[in-house]
Amino acid sequence: MPEVSKMKKPDVKVVILGDTSVGKTSLLHRYTERKFRDTISTVGGAFYLKQWGPYNISIWDTAGREQFHGLGSMYCRGAAAIILTYDVTNWQSLAEIEERFLSLTDTANNDCIYAIVGNKADLTDPQAQLTVATDGLTDDQGEGGEQRMKLQVPPACPTPPASPASPSSLLKQVGHDEATALYGRILRYKGLDEKSSLPADRMCFETSAKTGYNVDALFETLFDLVLPSILRKRNENQWSPTVDLEDYREANGKRRGCC
Amino acid sequence: MEDPAEPPLPGPTAVEQSATLEAEPNQNADPETEESEDVDVSAQSADIVPDEANGNNGNNGTDCSGEFVVTMLARSNLEEQAVGTEGTSSPLSEDIAEEAPPLQSHRDEDVMAESWRQHRKHVFVLSEAGKPIYSRYGSEEALSSTMGVMMALVSFVQSGDNMIRSVYSEEHTVVFLQKGPLVLVCVSNSRQSEQQLRAELLYVYYQIISMLTQASIARIFEHKKNYDLRRLLAGSEKILDGLLNLVDWDPSFLLAAVHCLPLPSSLRDSLSQTLQKAITPNLVFSILIAKNQLVTIVQEKTVIEDARLEPADVHLLLNLIGASSAFQAGEIWTPICLPLFNPDCYFYAYISYLDPPECTVCLLLLSTDKEAFYAVAECKRRIEEAMVAQNSLSLIAKAQSYSVSQVGVSDLRHFMYKPFDVPDNHHQLTQFTSPEMEAPYSSDEEKMRLLDLYRYMHSRIHSSSRPLKLIYHVAERETLLAWVTSKFELYTCFSPLVTKACAITAITKLLRWIKKEEDRLFIRYPPKYSTTPNPSKSSRKSEQQDSTDNGFMSLL
Ligand SMILES: Nc1nc2c(ncn2[C@@H]2O[C@H](COP(=O)(O)OP(=O)(O)O)[C@@H](O)[C@H]2O)c(=O)[nH]1
Ligand SMILES: [Mg+2]
Repeated sequence: MPEVSKMKKPDVKVVILGDTSVGKTSLLHRYTERKFRDTISTVGGAFYLKQWGPYNISIWDTAGREQFHGLGSMYCRGAAAIILTYDVTNWQSLAEIEERFLSLTDTANNDCIYAIVGNKADLTDPQAQLTVATDGLTDDQGEGGEQRMKLQVPPACPTPPASPASPSSLLKQVGHDEATALYGRILRYKGLDEKSSLPADRMCFETSAKTGYNVDALFETLFDLVLPSILRKRNENQWSPTVDLEDYREANGKRRGCC
Repeated sequence: MEDPAEPPLPGPTAVEQSATLEAEPNQNADPETEESEDVDVSAQSADIVPDEANGNNGNNGTDCSGEFVVTMLARSNLEEQAVGTEGTSSPLSEDIAEEAPPLQSHRDEDVMAESWRQHRKHVFVLSEAGKPIYSRYGSEEALSSTMGVMMALVSFVQSGDNMIRSVYSEEHTVVFLQKGPLVLVCVSNSRQSEQQLRAELLYVYYQIISMLTQASIARIFEHKKNYDLRRLLAGSEKILDGLLNLVDWDPSFLLAAVHCLPLPSSLRDSLSQTLQKAITPNLVFSILIAKNQLVTIVQEKTVIEDARLEPADVHLLLNLIGASSAFQAGEIWTPICLPLFNPDCYFYAYISYLDPPECTVCLLLLSTDKEAFYAVAECKRRIEEAMVAQNSLSLIAKAQSYSVSQVGVSDLRHFMYKPFDVPDNHHQLTQFTSPEMEAPYSSDEEKMRLLDLYRYMHSRIHSSSRPLKLIYHVAERETLLAWVTSKFELYTCFSPLVTKACAITAITKLLRWIKKEEDRLFIRYPPKYSTTPNPSKSSRKSEQQDSTDNGFMSLL
């Protein structure tokens, strides 16, 4: 993430919620750094500013214990989009969204949009095992040395279900239908009319942070959808330091964007 | 804290144990050359074991707990032969111990099939109900069978009104620590003293507290005795792994002191002032860290009167920062409890790197207000701006740990110096200074060997039964001298051929050098700021209720 963006006022807020280990940090990392790497466990919440075109999108990555710490409502306050994440190989992680995370979204904007994301699709879906080309979406220049995931499937286990280690854990435990059903229940919880809301088909994703499958689609879709809130907010307060800061940074010469 | 051992009859087993313990650090040293003012090798093996075990060394007497220990540990595959210990502080056993040859090679490892058993130091955490919470090298078997056995051991001994504290075998020391509803167990073949291992377990406990608070843990287990705490710690294992790794490699933990980055005092002062100026209500600590070492700490005025930050709390913070550094471009906002400051309340920590993508300079701002993220983040912007204006980052980048050669004492290879006489020490963080570990301690193996020697010296100096003031220890490949006075604690490592007289002269020179450099080596006069409008209600108590209103009971 470019240092350049550090001082800019965020235009909109996106929050990623979900149980520990479903891959929230990996998804964000895949999107912003174009890499999959063994991430270190998230401590509390991590705040990122992502420059998306001329806009600054703030993203909160969370640890999954917000209900315990009572910080969830702070992370979600004023959010324009919330990504509710589960692990497709773990049914409980879908149940947790409803049990532990949904109530944290009460402080989000009234017009907040919700995405349901089943991550680790590479473990269950051959289609998701294909490495996604990482070009095109980032505006980064000097990425020649960037190591991409060469091939996502480790040679040791050609197709995950055949892996002798723990075959059961690799079975798909959550289907698309269950995710869309949850989406319906969330709309109801929010008192939203299904007809006038975004359709479940559009807001339920299956992704793989490991291969990059559907990751850009997820974030780009959401960003497109929150654009109206961004514009509205910009209209409301005209203040935008972007240009000044850019000049300031350049004058200092030290910083380069790294993402 | 340490219970003195019952002086029992010195049985043959006990003698062997003492010898075993002595064997490793002292392996090839001629006992003659060891000129301690006092030698008390057996102190380490002296320990509390249920009274009933007296007179039995575990080989007979079916109802003695020593036998129980043997059976249980054997059943758990933990160790092939664990013997119930008797305390052995008798002079007789001591003498024999001194003369005993380096003991039987403990390398017949083919018996121990599974590799996890060969780890230098296992750490387990379990609940009183025996539910596994953490295992350093956790395999499922390790979690289920071994933890069960540990718990059986603990409850067996508890039932006899005796807290089990430790068990020794020839190769392993097993140390137990019960803190509230948590039981921590260390199985080590590192030859460290029980006291040291227990102190390490305490760090593990504190790290858990730092994530959950003591009050919450107590309430959870009051509410549901067999609660699976892993639900709340899920994802935090790496923080505990990281801590145990640091404990093994960073002498800060052994010395209970903080290592700060050597820096010209003018630079440190200007950085402190920068922190001092960027404040917001409810900010209580501003901490700047570079290369995992402290640069400066600035505290809220009223907080500092109440208490100071303890080294252990700083260690936990540093470990947390290390553990969260994977994804460095972000700004972290996390609840964190500083257990020594107040085990029941949370601070909210803002963590951000000032020099991405290198990420060696880290700013840590602690607030008592959970909603203060944006205000605190704004402080960081101001700090960042000021540092850019003063070119501080490149100045910090130039700062380095120093080489022992700068001291100019030829035989001196390494040292650790922990003063007690820093001005204002009562209100300041305990610190220590130490040069880079250089050849011949460049490889990990050699580094660890030196650290082990230090740990050995430390255990002798701090022996609970016979603390020593000065130890001159001739080891195989180096000579060590440890010295503790009312003003400092010092550990030095010399080349093997140094004479005692040379070493003493060298230390005089070293102390003079440190005196001359102390403004650079230590944080001397950290400024304070005032952000709390109502000073009497500083953070100490204000958070008290915080952990109760977060609905965690619904998780049970
Ligand atoms: N196979 C697979 N593993 C993943 C994927 N995303 C994350 N993981 C792994 O799942 C674990 C947890 O990921 P992390 O991003 O830390 O989860 P978080 O706690 O939700 O942030 C890590 O070991 C990741 O390597 C994925 O898409 N596929
Ligand atoms: Mg995470």
